Amino acid sequence: MGDRISDHKWSGVLKSMDRREFILSSAAAGILTMTPRFASAGSGEVFRVGVTLPTTGAGANYSVRPIKGLPLIAAQINKRGGLLGKHPIELHFRDTQTKPAAGTREARSLILNEKVQAILGTWSSAVAMGIQEIVHENKILHFAATSNSSKIVNENYTPYTFQFGPNSRMQSAATVVAMKTLIEKKGWKKYVTLGADYEWGRDAQSVFVKELAKASPGIELKKELWFRLGETDFSPYISAVMALKPDFLFGAIAGKDNETFLQQAKAAGLFKRVAYPGVFLPVTELMQQRRTLPRGIIGLNRCPFFANLDNPMMQSYIKTFQDEFGTDDWPDDFACMYFDALNGLDQGAKMAGSVSPDAIKDALKGATIDTCRGRLAFRDCNNQLDAPSYVGEVVDTPDYPFPIFDPKTLVVVKGSDVWLPTCEEVKKLQKKRA
Amino acid sequence: MVYDLTSLLIQLLSGLSRAMMLFLLASGLSLIFGVMNILNFAHATLWMLAGYLTYTLFQFFTATMGESGWWLLPSTFLATAALFALGCLIEFVLIRRMYDRELPEQLLLTFALILIIGDVIKMIWGVDNLRIYMPIEPMEFFDSFVNPYSFVVIGVGVAVAAGLWWFLHHTRYGKTIRAAVHSREMVSALGIRIGAMYTAVFGLGVAVAAMSAGVFLPIVPIGLGIDMDLIVQCFAVVVIGGFGSILGTFVASIIVGVVYSFSVLIWPDGALAIIFVILVAVLIWRPWGLFGTELRS
Repeated sequence: MGDRISDHKWSGVLKSMDRREFILSSAAAGILTMTPRFASAGSGEVFRVGVTLPTTGAGANYSVRPIKGLPLIAAQINKRGGLLGKHPIELHFRDTQTKPAAGTREARSLILNEKVQAILGTWSSAVAMGIQEIVHENKILHFAATSNSSKIVNENYTPYTFQFGPNSRMQSAATVVAMKTLIEKKGWKKYVTLGADYEWGRDAQSVFVKELAKASPGIELKKELWFRLGETDFSPYISAVMALKPDFLFGAIAGKDNETFLQQAKAAGLFKRVAYPGVFLPVTELMQQRRTLPRGIIGLNRCPFFANLDNPMMQSYIKTFQDEFGTDDWPDDFACMYFDALNGLDQGAKMAGSVSPDAIKDALKGATIDTCRGRLAFRDCNNQLDAPSYVGEVVDTPDYPFPIFDPKTLVVVKGSDVWLPTCEEVKKLQKKRA
Repeated sequence: MVYDLTSLLIQLLSGLSRAMMLFLLASGLSLIFGVMNILNFAHATLWMLAGYLTYTLFQFFTATMGESGWWLLPSTFLATAALFALGCLIEFVLIRRMYDRELPEQLLLTFALILIIGDVIKMIWGVDNLRIYMPIEPMEFFDSFVNPYSFVVIGVGVAVAAGLWWFLHHTRYGKTIRAAVHSREMVSALGIRIGAMYTAVFGLGVAVAAMSAGVFLPIVPIGLGIDMDLIVQCFAVVVIGGFGSILGTFVASIIVGVVYSFSVLIWPDGALAIIFVILVAVLIWRPWGLFGTELRS
């Protein structure tokens, strides 16, 4: 019983974002951004940015650090006077509840009532795709910082949306790159997939299956299992996977579901019977599940700070974040991608020489920007950032109180190596919009 | 595909574990509706609140008196007592004003409770998922593994079912409650304070759910929104079993849990659909549920 400890101490470190804090963060953002507004009153209009993130529902745990980090980034930009040195940023936070209906309602309200010129967000591709229809209709910028269905930039493409993380197709293909070696080395022959039954889960699973069939033609998919978003009891799925006796399991599971699944799968002995490579493990999960996470599993990551410590932008962001929230807290993947999104807006305005959404949209098309993952370019046919995926083995190190991906074996797969090979293919998928 | 016996046994165990989770949550809902004719849409939300409270009490005990998984027992007990009191208060202040109202109004009131409690939770505990960490190690089962905590869930489910059955059939108070299901006017005419009984039944229904929250915490992280996912399944169980019938809820939980579990193995795409096909069939064939009485329909 000696090693049984609660998450309390840790939760003190990873302080929860409650509504009060949420409101305070939003208010702080407003105050921080309004200071230069008054200092340089008359020099330029305020640039209003809507932030649509879930603070309830399956993706709520991924919103905590973006909500903490975004006001700090806005304040930094506003210290320089704002966009183009004269348009202070004002952030307006809204809760999408991880539901498309709520997300689109909030996005519409942000545009009509708050007069925002850009929307950052959100988690859940289904919500993001709903928001895309509204931003396109209103000609407002949309920086999809974390939602990552490939449909956002392909089938549902609008020139107003820019995707900052590797999309589901790129992530799944990156996993295949890492998996191919494992399959050959271990002699694996059959596998099972388990995915969240919604847009992102279906998309990630389907790309993985197709790409793996190409990369390792001999491998057999035994069965596809799907669970409802927000599942609380994975035991039937875990026992079904064990009954099917695959060599490995591919999971398209994220958010709270990922946490629940890993906890129950470990207790049921799944990882003793079946390998589980390629699980989505953002820094958030590495921190939250530091005690229960099985070591040695192969995880997938989108923007881990520990893989980008040599990047000055990442160094600066970590310092800013830790100056505010303490050295025990770290910006997770989501905080980093929102950092890149807001800084991307700043850089887009500079390139355009204007804060007009249309001008920024045109300037960012095909442009290269500085991010906390290095200098990355947007693909000009669909506005997908050439964002890398990180695949690695979960290990403990003396440097952090939570596991990270083993730096010695970390595989960084460039976005442009795994996205749809040609723009012709992309354009074939893109729907015609008015 | 042919599955070996061990795999089928483990699948059955998973189904029973899921069944008992559903029963623990749904039995209070069924009891409240059966006795009071109140459809408490906020039932799973009160369960969720109990989970947060249990978590906090557990943290308090481990922080002040040393770390031990056994603190889950007093934490669960105290949270259950607190939710019993809260349930009584809700009935006394709000629910009793709704007895003569239409069902949609009851649903609106309890739906408002979902929103209020959800926001209170957000203010106090934030949006992070919370869980109690227990190093549960897999147990060898023939040539495979199972989660040993499944046996705890099944055991508690069976114990609660037996306890509720004994209470309703072998105690004076339980018999009075059953009598009230059939004729509250007659029970009232016998000089029994029906108002106080309703308050206690509502508190008891909520308390059963609250107790189950403590049982789930070591394997299910608690987080906002979890209540809405669970309440739909609870309604399915209660409708199939028959509102007001604890035995019906127990049997329906087993049907739903086991059928769902084997559907995941055999026909995963239709797992949820099969449950609702059963639900529809029951509604057509016996609208009052498998073990409900026509009187309640």
